[in-house]
Amino acid sequence: MARKNTNELYSTHTSLLMRLLHGSKRYFLLGILFAWLTSLLDLVNPRIISFTVDSVIGTAVPSLPHIFESLVNKLGGVDALRLHIGYIAILVILIAVISGLMRYTFRMMNAKGQEVMLQSTRDLLYGHILSLPLTWHNKNHTGDIIQRCTSDVDVIRSFLAEQLTALIRMAVQILLSLYFMIGISPAMTGMVALFIPVIVLFSYFFHVRIEASFQKVDEMEGQLSAVAQENLTGVRVVRAFGRESYERARFEKKNDEYTGLWDYLMKLLSLFWATGDAISGLQTLLILIVGANFCLSGRITVGGYIAFLSYSAMLNGPVRQLGRVISGMSRAGVSIDRIRYILNSAPEHETEEATDADMSGDIVFDHVTFRYEKPEKEDGDEKAADDVPVLDDVSMVLRAGQVTGILGSTGSGKSTLMYLLCRLYDLPEGQGEIRIGERRLPSIPRDCVRKQVGIVLQEPYLFSKTLGENIAITRKDASQTEIERAARTAVLDETITRFSKGYETFVGERGVTLSGGQKQRTAIAQTLIRKTPIMILDDSLSAVDAQTDARIRAELNREEGHATRILISHRINSLMHADHIIVLDKGKVVEEGTHDELYALNGLYRKICDLQSPEGVQA
Amino acid sequence: MQKEPQKTLPFFGVPKVLPYVKPYRWKIVFMVFLGILSSLIDSIYPLFNQHIINHNLAEHTSDTLWIITVAYILVLAFQVWNNYYSAYMCSRMELWMNRDLRNAAFNHLQTLTFDYFNRNSVGYIHARVMSDSGRIGELVSWRLMDFVWSGSYVVCVVAVMLVTNLRLALMVLCLVPIAMVIVTFFRRKLIAQNRRIRELNSTISGDFNEGITGVRAIKTLAVEERMNGDFQKDTHEMKRESVRAARTSTLIGTGVSFLSSAALALVLWQGGQLTMESILQLGTLSVFMSYAMSIMDPLQNCINVLTAMTTIQVNIERFTRLMETESSVVDRKDVVEKYGDTFHPKRENWEELGGRVEFRDVTFQYPDGDEPVLEHFSLTVEKGSSVAIVGETGAGKSTLVNLVCRFYEPTQGQVLIDDRDARERSQLWLHSHIGYVLQTPHLFSGSVRENLQYGRPDATDEEIWHALDLVSAGDVVRRMEKGLDSDVGEGGSMLSSGERQLLSFARAILADPRILVLDEATSSVDTVTEKAIQKAIQTVTEGRTSFMIAHRLSTVVDADTILAVKDGKIVEQGSHRELMDRHGYYWDLFTRQYVDMAVDMAMHGEE
Repeated sequence: MARKNTNELYSTHTSLLMRLLHGSKRYFLLGILFAWLTSLLDLVNPRIISFTVDSVIGTAVPSLPHIFESLVNKLGGVDALRLHIGYIAILVILIAVISGLMRYTFRMMNAKGQEVMLQSTRDLLYGHILSLPLTWHNKNHTGDIIQRCTSDVDVIRSFLAEQLTALIRMAVQILLSLYFMIGISPAMTGMVALFIPVIVLFSYFFHVRIEASFQKVDEMEGQLSAVAQENLTGVRVVRAFGRESYERARFEKKNDEYTGLWDYLMKLLSLFWATGDAISGLQTLLILIVGANFCLSGRITVGGYIAFLSYSAMLNGPVRQLGRVISGMSRAGVSIDRIRYILNSAPEHETEEATDADMSGDIVFDHVTFRYEKPEKEDGDEKAADDVPVLDDVSMVLRAGQVTGILGSTGSGKSTLMYLLCRLYDLPEGQGEIRIGERRLPSIPRDCVRKQVGIVLQEPYLFSKTLGENIAITRKDASQTEIERAARTAVLDETITRFSKGYETFVGERGVTLSGGQKQRTAIAQTLIRKTPIMILDDSLSAVDAQTDARIRAELNREEGHATRILISHRINSLMHADHIIVLDKGKVVEEGTHDELYALNGLYRKICDLQSPEGVQA
Repeated sequence: MQKEPQKTLPFFGVPKVLPYVKPYRWKIVFMVFLGILSSLIDSIYPLFNQHIINHNLAEHTSDTLWIITVAYILVLAFQVWNNYYSAYMCSRMELWMNRDLRNAAFNHLQTLTFDYFNRNSVGYIHARVMSDSGRIGELVSWRLMDFVWSGSYVVCVVAVMLVTNLRLALMVLCLVPIAMVIVTFFRRKLIAQNRRIRELNSTISGDFNEGITGVRAIKTLAVEERMNGDFQKDTHEMKRESVRAARTSTLIGTGVSFLSSAALALVLWQGGQLTMESILQLGTLSVFMSYAMSIMDPLQNCINVLTAMTTIQVNIERFTRLMETESSVVDRKDVVEKYGDTFHPKRENWEELGGRVEFRDVTFQYPDGDEPVLEHFSLTVEKGSSVAIVGETGAGKSTLVNLVCRFYEPTQGQVLIDDRDARERSQLWLHSHIGYVLQTPHLFSGSVRENLQYGRPDATDEEIWHALDLVSAGDVVRRMEKGLDSDVGEGGSMLSSGERQLLSFARAILADPRILVLDEATSSVDTVTEKAIQKAIQTVTEGRTSFMIAHRLSTVVDADTILAVKDGKIVEQGSHRELMDRHGYYWDLFTRQYVDMAVDMAMHGEE
């Protein structure tokens, strides 16, 4: 899926990560810095304890770093501390406050970095997806794209905000601990250090296996979930065939398999935890006994002994986590590739500078031939048969300010004509051209074309907003009067006033399902409010009855008389009053003229007329 | 979908879960016992330390070191075994509980009637089966273990501290209530914030979905900027809420580690003094320091579990509500006795079904409806005759079908099957004799054979091929790589929608039902498939009593009785001729559909 290609915007994993980290890098870096400071301060406490035990409570000569020694001297030397041991407590509290602030800053920086990264990644993806051409959308499945935008983004988040930063953080934490430990006893530190690669490797290998096992469990969960899903969506089939027992057995079997896989995984994990406990237990024992002997032979102090034990305990956690972090990182590569696929897909690009264009001229289709790219999504009208072009050498003129009717059967290519006009698809070189007035269509920027061509799609799409917002989707500034006017023209106002919340009714809200005809009329209102110089109704009245159809057309003539209107329909009654009618069959213009001309021609149009006449219907 | 309940269950709803825990009660008791033991041992470890410092180091002797070593290894060995065993057992408890709860929910769903499925979306019900069970399972395993271990660790440590030095122990304990207040306060806040984040998360997924499925509309309306703006508002909100939640949880973490340090400072100060005065031994001081620092985390754990209870309570309530939902169509006791129930049919007592269906003075109102959709409706459908139901999308065409299948029961009046009230025989009996072809043909993932055998598990390959050929789907399957063993994909996704329809016809034919219910698909298919489907409909309805929610004119025209439905009510009834002559609603519907067909007919020719 992710081919190495120099034309790609993000040719490597790193280049994508750097783009995603844009704006959040500094938070992550600050987070790591504060994490280091926090671990440094955490490491000071055992040092204070050892000093207190040895030199304040005990009598050893203090060996402190320079700053602390001068601090102790300022307070009046070790003797003063003996009288006021509370000073040490205050120091501990003081360090706790500072380290608390550091820890807080570190976590907040990391969280902020993570959220800023997520926000910019999501925005980037969403914006990019909207800018991708329709051919791309036809090729890719919705579910798959959404999964990339959610799950894969989350994997990358966890890689950046948890794994990568943790790795940098912990490496330093381990080094710092070792440094402090060397200060107490290099020999014992050596012993502890020997354990580190053992634990890391052990944890790494375990996690590689656990990861593999996790994938199996995931797959199985998918299967179990699918069984439940299928049962629920197919509840009617299950009931109608009386197969409840079978379904039950099927579910229980999968459920058992799933539980069994988990069982194995949990056994593995429990074993890992227990073995980890055993190793670190032995490590502690070693230090306990060797340390005691060192202490007895005077190589280390009692305070040093206590401090060393704390350090080695602190080391335990990060060392064990390290293996897990490393093994989990392999996941990220796959997800990065999946995101790269989206972001590397080329958006609809503009060839020319955006300029305004006069769209009130005649629309000319000049020898237009068009076929869709092969892997097609099922999509009603435009299912491409093997290599037969959807449009085959179509030439026609749609006069400015007039109504042109287009009649054609399913698959005749009439919607495709309109998609080309909206520049949803572009004509390849040498396959004819489309002009508006004197301008060639490709020389008018897409945005400009689409802002001036109002098309009501065959399958209307409503957004999950209120009805009012849906109508005014293109115009945030539209007044309530304008919205109501558009609704009235689309003969939708009566329907809307019947809803208890009127224009505030949320589309898709429980209990409010719009019928096909209501959806079509909402889409018409949506287009009406735009007042575009070109207006297309692509079979947009198919679900409304004949009277409403006539009413809407009459309203349109009144309101939009100056616009170039294109009316696509199966219904002779809807088309017969058009100024010009074009009959399209299998991608070719077969007849054109006014209703009377076509009727007199006694061809296909006439045949359809007769079939649709009251006598024809009765036959 | 459904409104969240107003009433809350007592004791966080835990009593409702107990029946599912019962089979494992002894295992759980043992688990709790091991948990306590484990925390006991964990609290012992620092004592090795103490002994070495107080005895060996203070008195400069290594005499007991080997005993310590042996004892330590023994304790460690036991602890490792214990940790392994109890972790594994705890996981299994969780797994078993999950499995049982899922099975229970799934099986209960198999007995519920359609009003439940109409009221609740598939996604909602799916979540009840798949995720609520998980949360409840987690409660009785890990959460319980966490609570037991942390609780008993705190108790043990406090006890050891109290025994070792009362004054010092009491001072450390003063910090405990402060920690509890901080953690409890912020946890509550965190739960509310996390809920908000989950909501925003699904909003954002919804936005992506809208952006992708609605891309054609977005582009043609040229509203990319507005959509981007709306989306960025949501992601911005998400960032703000997430950072807020991160702040809360960071505050808890920082607060707790600060209190640990405070405890350390306290011990160092007071204990240090005592040690200097030789009241306290050095080793004891060191132990006190480790205790003081290690008590805060388990304390936090305990509170986490308690606060988590409030969220798990929601899961328990939802689960309980599902399990307590009763089927609105229930077979009478005597019927169950004779015919058996859903999972234990007594087929030996089943009669044959003829196929005469009669609605006698039926009044019907949907359980969630405001008014009756049928009033004193009577209709007799003779054995082998066909009824077509026509009307617009959402007009309520399936009501009659629902009554025939006994997915619902009439509010008043009777539905008679072979002149006997439907309620006199079991639902499974009726369903076993009804064939159902859905509008969106539903295939199950698996092979072609498995799908066709759905209606009749013992069908031979020969019979299957016969059925496939009857509906002209034989060639489709023969073209597939593995024939009957070919995988149809999830929901039949490897097949085109026309092929799916044909297979579901074959499935219905194999089951050889006396009554056939057919919900015709509206989606357009290519002409060849369309023809095959028309032929399949004729084949499958032949000789069977059939109820068809019809969209194809040919299906409608040939039906013995046509019912036209508008706004949920039957407005016209009669044969095609009669209704056309009436020039009413049916006529309007018919002509509207006819124009589409006329264009196709004229252009593609009719043979």
